Amino acid sequence: MMPQLLTVGVKRPDRRLVRVRVPVVPVVLLLSPVLLLALVAGVVAGHVYHVDTLRALRTGWRIVCALPGTRFDAQFDRTAVLVAIR
Amino acid sequence: MSHPMSHPVSRPVSHPVSHPTREVAMSEQRKDVLGLLAEGTISVEEAERLIVALERAQPAASASLATRPKGRAKYLRVVMEFLGEGEADRLNVRVPLQLLRAGVQLAALVPPRALERANAELVRSGVPIDLTQLRPEHLEALVEHLDETIVELDMSDGYLRVFCE
Repeated sequence: MMPQLLTVGVKRPDRRLVRVRVPVVPVVLLLSPVLLLALVAGVVAGHVYHVDTLRALRTGWRIVCALPGTRFDAQFDRTAVLVAIR
Repeated sequence: MSHPMSHPVSRPVSHPVSHPTREVAMSEQRKDVLGLLAEGTISVEEAERLIVALERAQPAASASLATRPKGRAKYLRVVMEFLGEGEADRLNVRVPLQLLRAGVQLAALVPPRALERANAELVRSGVPIDLTQLRPEHLEALVEHLDETIVELDMSDGYLRVFCE
């Protein structure tokens, strides 16, 4: 299943935690023209560098679908960063 | 991040995973008890009570990965905590193993010409590895066996754990 929600949180010293939740599907729909162009560019690059385009797309899609559950949470000194994909 | 060795401060650290060093520590404690018994410092009954108490303490200490329900692990976890200048420096990463499995498929997409150039550079650097022989199946097998991997690093001011859950 493709990611549904991306959560990004940043806390800087002496500031409160800022957390942004990004719904992935609406953003992908919004950026679909750009993504389509990127897809075409990727296919052309695949042909130029002799890369199996279908396999590359399949692998890319598998990676995107495997992203949910990823979490990166780090705090160094008084700065904290959180990235979570659901 | 400050260097882990720069703060030789001892502090209690919560251990989310099992601890092989604890079994060694327990064996040492048992030896200490037997040593005290041999010296005549404690009686046989006292030694027995101490050993029973140590055995009771062990399952609680080693409960975690040892008692983790068997089955296919889903995530690779990296947990790190070190005492920093003020607050503790922490790192908590969770990567789905499925993502690693999908990622290794990328190896098959590297153009042969790029692999040849990489091989030449590796040979020149004294690392004669033939990357053209690296197949996604091999990497997948590596990922499959990751769930049995545990890396633990304990220091006076923190710890690092890499494990699967």
